[in-house]
Amino acid sequence: MRTYLTALALVCALASVAIADGKHHRFVGIHPVPKGHGGGLCHIEAHHVHLYAPVDVKVQYRVHDGWHHFVGDPVAYGWEGPKHSYYGHHPIEIHAVVGDDHEDTAYCYLEGPHYHAWAPPPGVQLELRGGAYWYVGDFPEAYATGRATYDPIDVVYQPIRYQRPAVTVEVAPPNWYGVAVVAAPPPVVVRRPPPVRAGVEVVVPAPSVRVEIAVPTVSIGIGAGVVVQGGHRHKHKRKHKHHGRKRGHDRDDDDD
Amino acid sequence: MAPRSPLAPVLALSIACVACGGDGDGSKTSADAVVAAWKAAKLDVSALTEVDPKPYSATACRGGTVSGVDVVLCSYGSGEDAQAAEELGLAQIGGATGAALVRGTRLLVVADRRKVDPSGRTIDAITKAWKK
Repeated sequence: MRTYLTALALVCALASVAIADGKHHRFVGIHPVPKGHGGGLCHIEAHHVHLYAPVDVKVQYRVHDGWHHFVGDPVAYGWEGPKHSYYGHHPIEIHAVVGDDHEDTAYCYLEGPHYHAWAPPPGVQLELRGGAYWYVGDFPEAYATGRATYDPIDVVYQPIRYQRPAVTVEVAPPNWYGVAVVAAPPPVVVRRPPPVRAGVEVVVPAPSVRVEIAVPTVSIGIGAGVVVQGGHRHKHKRKHKHHGRKRGHDRDDDDD
Repeated sequence: MAPRSPLAPVLALSIACVACGGDGDGSKTSADAVVAAWKAAKLDVSALTEVDPKPYSATACRGGTVSGVDVVLCSYGSGEDAQAAEELGLAQIGGATGAALVRGTRLLVVADRRKVDPSGRTIDAITKAWKK
């Protein structure tokens, strides 16, 4: 028993040393809190540390001078502070958001209407129209390169139920290009037919019963865009894709 | 070139000592200003008492609580010294949510050891008032 307690004390001591030696995770700015740690949003805007790791770190965060900065939509996690509407992809001047002079431009890959807690800094080609900011500048190669990694961020938000900005693509500036999110027609619901009774004694189930749950569908049309690659401009062909969406439900985002 | 006064180095040193605050009344005055800013932000501030400055490599430290969150304010001889101590401040947070922020020759360490601030709103208010 004494050996066991000594070993336990040693493990606890080592764990506390590990924490003191840098097991903290570093954040700058507001960010979601993992559900296992209470959920919701951490409101600390200054550089700070937590014992938990950032959730969906690959798509929801960019590392700025070694600190994780959340680039997603804070309203989805309960943010009630100042918010600004955006539509489609756009640059994020992280140094301007966190308030330092280490220039660091990242890109937001959220499609359609979404919020950020900050207004765009002066000089960024974001046009305010219909209550939302639309990026009307050119996307550099860094945007195209990062797309493979960061574009799946929309998958994170699909199951989260929250009120997005009421902005439609119809009000987009003429020189905007990007991904338009268009509402699909209402889904068809097939009701389960009653079981077929043959005679009095035998109950024969229906040979084919198919139930479809109401699933909203989003049609995404990608407009003609310009991406500068190696100093050249490439026009994107227009294409459409349809995404089936699962019925909204709370996501367990605790990946601890 | 005019001849330099023999008292000039002494005078310069005296001015520098007053500016950096040292570990005497200067740090207390600095702490008082921060406490006033926290109170203005409607935070509940306890008395700040002397804290061992060695773990922070500081000349002087004072500590207490602000709305239930632990705070330590430390003074340094220079901004570089304060900046260099930021990592030491982070290490002092231990197994809690917290922050270690430098402003001029001072370091603020905040640690929510009692988990009274799960949303981070109190720490946000503490750090914002500190930056003002």
